[in-house]
Amino acid sequence: MSGPVAAHSAGALGPTLTFDRIGLTLGRTDILSDVGFTVAAGSVHALVGPNGGGKSSLVKTLLGQMPHRGKLSVVWPGERPGIIGYIPQALEFDRGLPMTVNDFMAAMCQRKPAFLGLSRARAAEITHALERVGMQDKRNRRMGALSGGERQRVLLAQGLVPSPALVVLDEPMSALDEAGVRVFEELLDGWRAQRVTVLWIEHDLEAVGRLADRVTGLNRQVLCDGPPAQVLTPDRLLALFSTRPRVASLTEERAA
Amino acid sequence: MNALFDNLRQLVQSAAESGVLPGSLAYGFVVNALLAGLIIGPVLGGLGTLVVVKRFAFFSEAVGHAALTGVAIGILLGEPYTGPYGSLFSYCLIFGILLNFLSNRTRLTPDTLIGVFLSVSLALGASLLLVLSGRINIHILENVLFGSVLTVNSNDLSVLTCVALLALALALPNYNRLMLASFNPQLAAVRGVPVKAMDYLFVILVTLVTVASVKVIGAILVGALLVIPAAAARMLAQSLKGFFAMSVLFAMISTLAGIMLPIELELPVPSGAAIILVAGILFAISALARSLVPGLKGNAA
Repeated sequence: MSGPVAAHSAGALGPTLTFDRIGLTLGRTDILSDVGFTVAAGSVHALVGPNGGGKSSLVKTLLGQMPHRGKLSVVWPGERPGIIGYIPQALEFDRGLPMTVNDFMAAMCQRKPAFLGLSRARAAEITHALERVGMQDKRNRRMGALSGGERQRVLLAQGLVPSPALVVLDEPMSALDEAGVRVFEELLDGWRAQRVTVLWIEHDLEAVGRLADRVTGLNRQVLCDGPPAQVLTPDRLLALFSTRPRVASLTEERAA
Repeated sequence: MNALFDNLRQLVQSAAESGVLPGSLAYGFVVNALLAGLIIGPVLGGLGTLVVVKRFAFFSEAVGHAALTGVAIGILLGEPYTGPYGSLFSYCLIFGILLNFLSNRTRLTPDTLIGVFLSVSLALGASLLLVLSGRINIHILENVLFGSVLTVNSNDLSVLTCVALLALALALPNYNRLMLASFNPQLAAVRGVPVKAMDYLFVILVTLVTVASVKVIGAILVGALLVIPAAAARMLAQSLKGFFAMSVLFAMISTLAGIMLPIELELPVPSGAAIILVAGILFAISALARSLVPGLKGNAA
């Protein structure tokens, strides 16, 4: 599963992402400095680190929402950029809004006004996506009446339409129950089989250790980067999640 | 377009004279008023759903109030006081666009910024109107503030029709994107929605529709018809389809009943006030229905 990078790139559907000395300053705070790592095409790459460590900011930078220093390159296998599926942590919406799961999917995936129903071109794809996350029976329920885990599944479903070549996930497992976690793992397997590139922010280190091909530990800078077995060791994690990371010693270690 | 409305009016008037339609429709101004109501009702009701989804209620109120200042500027510049559309549209568009621009630039929350804009604009409008009070009949103010269906003419109907068609052409293809931009701007951007442009588009849509409706509903109350029907529909609907349909229906009933009831009952109530009172009654019924009908209550808000 966590084979060499070169083998992954061949024939992959997804792009290779290269973060090269990315820096980001908001006001007087350095959010990210000198961040550099590579996400191999077609791999599942996890991003771990403490809150405020800059994981979400890095994703924003990747999605083109942040002015930043350094060079970020996304190299697609084909001529044209592929489709990006983004699964945010949460949605801002009025819980009392009369919007069903169907309405939400329509609003996300088509131009035809959502109150006129699913467009013919997208209906089958949307149904299939809802089936994959196990929400097809609840598609007429209101979004506001769903549980947190169910809403998270719908967010996963919207990331499947149209079928993406790069998937960016922002803590998808935090709201999921056990059945939901299994759904997520199946999606991850599907993406891996299709050779889709997956960048995945996650707090659950056990899941990362089990499911990711490679892990980057981020706390304002890259503190560790490698296969889960190497990165997720007690020492490294202690350094990563400490308030004042022992940067100096780690940098030396990396250089060595 | 004026000729079209003239023909339509004559048709309705002759039908009323021959007893097919209610007698009050024999009067040209009543037909005009009804046509105006039929045009703005659905547009306000439909756009209102987005106002509620995007929590723009306070903004639409503010743009309505800005119309007062727009009218004052128009009279000052010598536009006809029955329809100073040039100043109305320009002032309110500047008001809305500047407001949106500043809420992007400053870190003030929209409601704070709207509070500032609303009061400054009203102060400007009040000052201008008092300066003008020597030059115009002050009773015209009543029409501006609370609407007057009696003075709606073919020219007003043409402006309404153009704005309604423009609003439809802009809002329908972008309805989902306008919603999406407020749910999660980042997700919207990933899906190729120009989030900032959508914000401006929405501000412009609300402004155009509001200003076009000032003649019928009045500056004080015009914002309310963007909010009340959609708010009532939100309480009853179970899906976006129902939400949109009910909002349009409630807005239609409000405008038509608000225009016809004072005429039929010979009540000296301004049209704007009557329209909003009908909308308010519909809102109250919806609230009551929600708390009494178990099927509606069960779906937690």
